[in-house]
This record gives sequence, structure tokens and C-alpha cells, in this order.
Amino acid sequence: MSVLTLENICFSYGKTVVLNNVSFNFEKGMIYCITGKSGAGKTTLLSILSGLAAPDSGRILYEGEDIAKLDKYKFRSKYIGVIFQSFNLITKFTALENVRLSMDIAGVKGSGKSKDKKALELLRSVGLSEEEANRRVLLLSGGQQQRVAIARALSYEAEVLLADEPTGNLDGETQDEIMAIFRELADRGKCVILVSHSPEVARQCDTCYQLLKHK
Amino acid sequence: MYIIKNALRCIGRGKGRNILIGIIVLVIAVSACLGLSIRQAAVTAKEETLSTLSVTATISFDRQSAMQGMRPPSGGEGGDRGSFDKDSFAQMMGQSSSLTLEQYETYAAADSVSGFYYTLTASFNGGEGLDPVSNESVSDTDATDSDTSGSSGRPSGGFPGGMGGFGGFSQIMGSQSDFSVVGYSTQAAMTAFVDGTASIAQDENGASMGRVFAEGTDQMECIITQELATYNDVAVGDTILLANPNSEEETYTLTVVGIYTDSSANENSFSMMGSTSGDPANQIYMSAAALQKVLDASAEVSETVTDEDTGREFETKLNSTLSGTYVFATADDYYLFENEVRELGLEETYTVSSPDLTAFENSLAPLNTLSTTAGTFLTVILIIGGIILVVLNIFNVRERKYEIGVLTAMGMKKGKVAAQFMTEIFVITLVAVVLGVVLGGVSAVPVTNALLEGQSTSSQAQSDRIDAAFGEGGFGGGDFSGFGGGGFGGMPGGGMPGGDRPSGGFGGDMFADIFGQGAADYITEIDSAMNLTVVWQMLGIAILLTLLSGAVSMLFIMRYEPLRILSNRD
Ligand SMILES: Nc1ncnc2c1ncn2[C@@H]1O[C@H](COP(=O)(O)OP(=O)(O)OP(=O)(O)O)[C@@H](O)[C@H]1O
Ligand SMILES: [Mg+2]
Repeated sequence: MSVLTLENICFSYGKTVVLNNVSFNFEKGMIYCITGKSGAGKTTLLSILSGLAAPDSGRILYEGEDIAKLDKYKFRSKYIGVIFQSFNLITKFTALENVRLSMDIAGVKGSGKSKDKKALELLRSVGLSEEEANRRVLLLSGGQQQRVAIARALSYEAEVLLADEPTGNLDGETQDEIMAIFRELADRGKCVILVSHSPEVARQCDTCYQLLKHK
Repeated sequence: MYIIKNALRCIGRGKGRNILIGIIVLVIAVSACLGLSIRQAAVTAKEETLSTLSVTATISFDRQSAMQGMRPPSGGEGGDRGSFDKDSFAQMMGQSSSLTLEQYETYAAADSVSGFYYTLTASFNGGEGLDPVSNESVSDTDATDSDTSGSSGRPSGGFPGGMGGFGGFSQIMGSQSDFSVVGYSTQAAMTAFVDGTASIAQDENGASMGRVFAEGTDQMECIITQELATYNDVAVGDTILLANPNSEEETYTLTVVGIYTDSSANENSFSMMGSTSGDPANQIYMSAAALQKVLDASAEVSETVTDEDTGREFETKLNSTLSGTYVFATADDYYLFENEVRELGLEETYTVSSPDLTAFENSLAPLNTLSTTAGTFLTVILIIGGIILVVLNIFNVRERKYEIGVLTAMGMKKGKVAAQFMTEIFVITLVAVVLGVVLGGVSAVPVTNALLEGQSTSSQAQSDRIDAAFGEGGFGGGDFSGFGGGGFGGMPGGGMPGGDRPSGGFGGDMFADIFGQGAADYITEIDSAMNLTVVWQMLGIAILLTLLSGAVSMLFIMRYEPLRILSNRD
């Protein structure tokens, strides 16, 4: 059952055409990999999928509905989890606070304590200790920050997870752990969409889409 | 509400910047608080004093407007300016310058009036065995030259100096007199006794020297000053003999029932005015009814004689001046009264005035000036403070652009982001304003008083300058100006027995009354400035500043697009 569908998406920054007539289909319970050379427009595509950018033409359907007609804040905060290439964490907050904030924005039910507990658990599952979880993001390493971003995207159980190079800063072992988490999500019926240059990551995905770079 | 939690967290994480903003708001708050407190102090001082002020009013003849009425219409005959009809003016002055008792009583019937009393003043010479107190052999100063001589002095109970011109009227016809006899309609009319500046004297044993004549009596009873009693060796129960200055054979016998002292009238401060009847020591008080009997008797035996020097005819009967005083429960009643008397038929040539209110308003002058200055100051502070805060907030929002991008990318509505920023500003402003109110509240009274002192001093200096410029002619030159500066200026509230008056600052109004435009007594101290009104106003300012700077942040936040922010990090 498809959860996200791209129909004839075109997108350009001014005169620079980035996406030309792209049509992809994403289904629940699957892990997708989007590959392509640097500058091919992978990040741009994720921005369009997450509703941060609107395509010049074409439609994005979320469970059959055009997302242009949805409340884009609700869509971003509840239905889609995004792991940005540049993390986009609030660096003056701790890892835990960043995760909690996303849960609050998404309106996750439950008491403050239970949400704290869940956030801590998530952070632990991506390999952060409690001490690191309570450290300001500014003082975490690149890989640790990436893991905070992953935990944050997972925290409100969105239907779709978008991840831009989620394992770019991680060692092989941690990468495998993260991939295991993604697989577990897919098994629970979520849809995971990854952008990766790594053939190893691509190999662990169910479907791969290639973006061609326009001149 | 996670927005508030987030806001508080952000305040904590950006201490340096927030403390800076807080300090700026604090400075604005303290200044605004001082400004508001000063304004409030002016309002409070006015209200409090007004609520306890007993307001009295008099009706006086407005010579200026009467003269205008007299002038024949000019311009009709081309360049011929009709000449002023001096004869009919003099006639009018003689007949209608002061209201009759009947007229006074007509106006006393106005709804706004809560009480009415009057004084009758007449000039007498001493008869056999009664000499006026004088520290020089009776001078030959021409009393008719001086507007301020005679009966305009103390007894008329707060008659403004402007009336002085008529006080001396009785002497225009006759020769200079020795005594001023004042008849009071009621005890309330005896203002000096009411406010405690005058009282029945006590002998060495502490026993009262007689009593005040009975209220409203027509018995020939009077009270005299201790000085006069000593000077003439008169004791309680003795009789004194007064003579009509115009007709020495016409004498009246009064029984002295009491001897009084007037603490405001010690020294020989009035002797410079020429006439001994102007000396407070030579004032004889009695009941108005009794004095009226004397005047009636005098009118019966009156004859018309011609003055040898001037060739003018005049009647020998005793002349008197009547001055009525209306009492009002509140200042508002007084303002009503001004209209009511016109409806009751008071002509335009008469003016209604309230020396209490005038003195009160004068006493408020420095506070009012200060209040106006404070208002301007407040406006400037709020404008400058508002601009600074707006600029600071623009910097703040721009600096946190990335954070805003992240929050909106995470799906937080821009309105909520703006609300979070508003909350931050509001909390910082509120803390600073609360601190500012405390600091401002503590310093408001001393600062206001210090400013007020400066203000009063400059007001005083100014009025002294005016005195110096206008004073010499009226009050006998150098002698007086020395007085005006030091003597009267240094007379504010506390020093006088009248210090229990509400403002504590009216002690000197009597002098101001007597000299017309003498040194006014200013409110030089306030005891409270802060009140709930100021706190509410400060809260209003805090909200206003928050809304203002918040609105600007809002504009910026609304303009921001998360993708653009996040895709170019710099
Ligand atoms: N804000 C922008 N304004 C103009 N051009 C942009 C902007 N963002 C991206 N581009 C251009 O669009 C193209 C696609 O960029 P994008 O970031 O999607 O590439 P990418 O496939 O994610 O590359 P990488 O693998 O290096 O992350 C690039 O050529 C880039 O220079
Ligand atoms: Mg990219």
C-alpha cells in the first residue's frame, strides 16, 4: 500500500533545473534508497517530500491526498520524520531536550515523565549514554549529533521516515545498528526513505531509486 | 504548555544577552516608574488636600471690568476717544463697590453653599484714655496714598490682597484712624481663632483673660489685643471709648470681655504701613450685630460737612466695609457656585474668587511643573526605550534565525514560535519591570522631594524676583524686599502653628493674602508616590513594550522560510 507518491515532480532553483519530471512511489513496510551523484538533487527531493519545498509542477500524495492541501505543519510534525543531512538540531539544548521538543511539537500523548523516559530510551537505542543525552548538542561529536537527529525523527512514530545520509558520519558497526533500527521500523509497517552514497546501505534496502544529475 | 517551557529554557540558555536586555528594560522601568510616581504624587497631593480643604469664597468688585463698562463706546465719532467719566466712576465706587448684606445673603441661598459668614470693618479713633499702640509718634504718612492700609489687613479673614484697594476706602473720606474694629457675624468668621493662630490670652497664672464675646450678640462687648491692653492699662471688664474719626464728639463705649493674642501678628511688622489701625495690635474684635448697631447709630446723627483742604463734601457717619465669605463642602461646590451666583443675578462687574483654592493651586505649582516635566520625560523614555527594545529584538530574532528555521521545519507553527519569543521578551521585561518598580518605588519619594525642593526654590526665586520688581512701590521699598526673601520665604508649613493643615504648606498664605502677590507657600514635600495605580501602569508599560517588540519579532518570524534558512547555514 503506497504511503507517498511523487507524480511528475519538476523543481529548479532559478535557472538551475534540479528535478525534472520525477515520479516515485513509496510503500509502507519498505526501506527505499535514493542514490545519485553529489548535487543530483537528493536533498532537494527530500525537502519536497517533507513539505519544506513546493514543487514547480507535479503532485505529492500522502495516503492518496495531495499534501499541498494538507496542513503542512501537522504533516511535518506528525506524519513525517526527517533526519537532515546537516542534523538541524537546536545546539543550545541537550540531546534529550531536542528529542522532547519534537515530541511536544508533534503532540505526543503522555506525561512529561513518560515522554522523558521514552526519549531516553530512544537515545540509548541509537547508542548514546544518559550522560551524553543530557549534554548540550553543541558539545556532542558529529556522529553523536547525527544519532540525536535519528532519535528525534523516530520519537513521534511518524508513518514516513526521511533520512539524508543518516550514517554518513558513523562507523560501520553503528551504521549496522542504525540500519537494524530502520529495518525494525519497516517491519512495523513504516516507510523508510534513505539517501545514501554507501553501496552497503543500498544493499540493505528493498528498493533503490537513482537520481540523474542535470547539466 | 511546551511553548512556555521552551521560552524559559531559552532565557536560561541565553543569559548574557537576556541580562543585557533586562538591564536596559530595568533602566527604562526605573525611569518610567519615577515619572509615573511623580505624576501620581501630584494627583494624590491634589486629591488628598482637596478632600480636606475647607473651601471659602468671596465676591469682590472687579474695578477693571467696571471701568471698561464706564468707557463710552469709542470709534463712533472717528478719532474722538470719549473721556473717562471720573465722577460717575467715583460715585459708583462709593455706592456699589461692595455688596450689601442682603445681596450677600441672596447668594448664600445657592445650593452649593454650605455656610456663610461676614465681617464688618470700621475705623475708629481712640476716645478718652485709649491710645493706639505705636512705636513711633504718630507719623504723618498720608494714609490715602496707600491702598494697603487699614482694614484690608488681618481681620477680613483671608480676603485677597486684590481687595485691598477698597479696604482703605473708608479713609479716603476721613482722616487717618487709630483703630480697626472688626465685627464678626459668627464664630466661624473668626478664622484666626478657628485655625488657632489667635486665642484668648493667659495671665501669669495660666488663667484665661476673659472670653470671646458671645456669638451674634448685639451687646457692646469686644476683645482687644494683649499689647493694646497693656499699653492702655485696660483689664477684662473695663470699658473703652472709641470715637468716630469724622466727628470726635461722637463716641461709643465698649466693654472689654476678653484679651487675645495673635501669634501670626507679633513683631511690629505692620507699622511700616503708616496707619496705626493697620497694626494688628490695634485691632478690636466684636460681634457684627453689635458693630452694626454702632454704625446705625452713627448714621442717625450723620451730617454733611465740607473738607477744608479738598473742598469735597462728605458725610460724617462711620464708614464700614462688609466682606462676606461663603463656605463650601468641596471644591466642586465652589465651581458650581460660580455659575449659580450668575443665575441669581450677580453682575459681571463682580468676581467670585476663592483665596483658599488660589493659595492651594499656587502651592501645587512646583509639583505641577514637576508633573509636566515628568510627563515629558516619561514620553521620551518610552519612545527611546521602545526603539532600543525593538532594535534589540530585531538583533535577537536575526541571531536566532537558524533556531527558528529548525523549529518551523520540525512543524512548529510560526505563530507558536512567535508566541515563544513573545513569552521570552515578556518574562524578561516583567522581571525587569518588577525590579524597576521596587527600585523606583524606593527612590520615588526621595527623588521627587529632591526635585521638588529644586523646583520650589526656583519658583520661590522667581516669585521673589517678581516681588523685587513690583514690590517696592506698594510696600514701602527696601524694608519690605528684605522681608520678602528671607522672612516669608522661609515660612513653610512646619514652622507655623497652622502646620496641621492638610498640605502642611499653607502656613504662609495669610501673608500672601495680605500682600496680594507675596511669596506663595509651596508644597515642598510628598510622603508617598507609589501606589497601585503606578504598579498597574507599569504593568501596562511592560505589556506595551512586549507587544511592540514582539510585533516586530513576529514580522521577522513570519517572513522566514525554514528551507532557505536551513539550506544556507552561515
Ligand atoms: N538554495 C539553493 N539555491 C540554488 N541552488 C541550490 C540551492 N540548494 C541546492 N542547490 C543546487 O541544487 C542542486 C541539488 O542540490 P542538492 O543539495 O539537492 O544535492 P544533493 O544531491 O543533496 O547533493 P549531496 O549529495 O552533495 O548532498 C545542486 O546543484 C545545488 O548546487
Ligand atoms: Mg544532499
